[in-house]
Amino acid sequence: MLNDLLNQETVQLTDATDLSWEAAIRLAAQPLVANGSVTEQYVNSMIDVVNNQGPYINIGDHIALAHTRPENGSNRISLALLKTNHDIALVNQDHPITLWFVLSAVDSDSHLEVIKQLMTLLTNEATVKQLMAASSAEDLLTIIHSRNE
Amino acid sequence: MKILAVCQSGLGSSFMVQMNVQQILKDENVDVDANDITVDHSDVGSATADSADYFFVESTLADALGSIPKDRIVLLKSLIDKKETAEHVNYVLDNENIAHD
Repeated sequence: MLNDLLNQETVQLTDATDLSWEAAIRLAAQPLVANGSVTEQYVNSMIDVVNNQGPYINIGDHIALAHTRPENGSNRISLALLKTNHDIALVNQDHPITLWFVLSAVDSDSHLEVIKQLMTLLTNEATVKQLMAASSAEDLLTIIHSRNE
Repeated sequence: MKILAVCQSGLGSSFMVQMNVQQILKDENVDVDANDITVDHSDVGSATADSADYFFVESTLADALGSIPKDRIVLLKSLIDKKETAEHVNYVLDNENIAHD
């Protein structure tokens, strides 16, 4: 499932140095807005959640998982990944992020298989190291697809 | 004994923590049935002091669990660091006198 959701369309890499965390989330989510998986409202809601609740989407060292409730504009289960070659501070300097995942769900349960596969990927330290070092979107995809079935 | 993983939306991160805790209990050879251990996940708004014995939560969300006694809240710096989660699970198991490896 992860292999279907993370593809040439939804995985991106940028060299930009001047992105705000809000812009990074918008950029990461852009392919999902373009293919109709989520609405602009969903993207705004993901940003609002961080503004209101803090940087809790920083799920691991240099990794963020942006998401919000399905009723805020999610049309289907989707996942996207943006790697920013330069760290971007999520809210403050205590939360530097390199890998920006964006997730959308349609209810509380049907996306749990995706979460499970994502966890298998991210709890593997060697894989995460490879992802952090990837220099192109193709590299990111190759690493993800070779690890995950 | 019930462990509840909590996150802001109850959709993603809390389920990640739940999966990690379950895997750790397995790795530590804990007899989950004999000790009546359950692990679940929920959003922060639905979690009350009665929902569980221990609450695992990402550390920046600590304040949102204001009504729950501090000694039952476990703060996680990383949700995907199995070593960190394992230390906390072992602490809970020792606290409850439950045998583990």
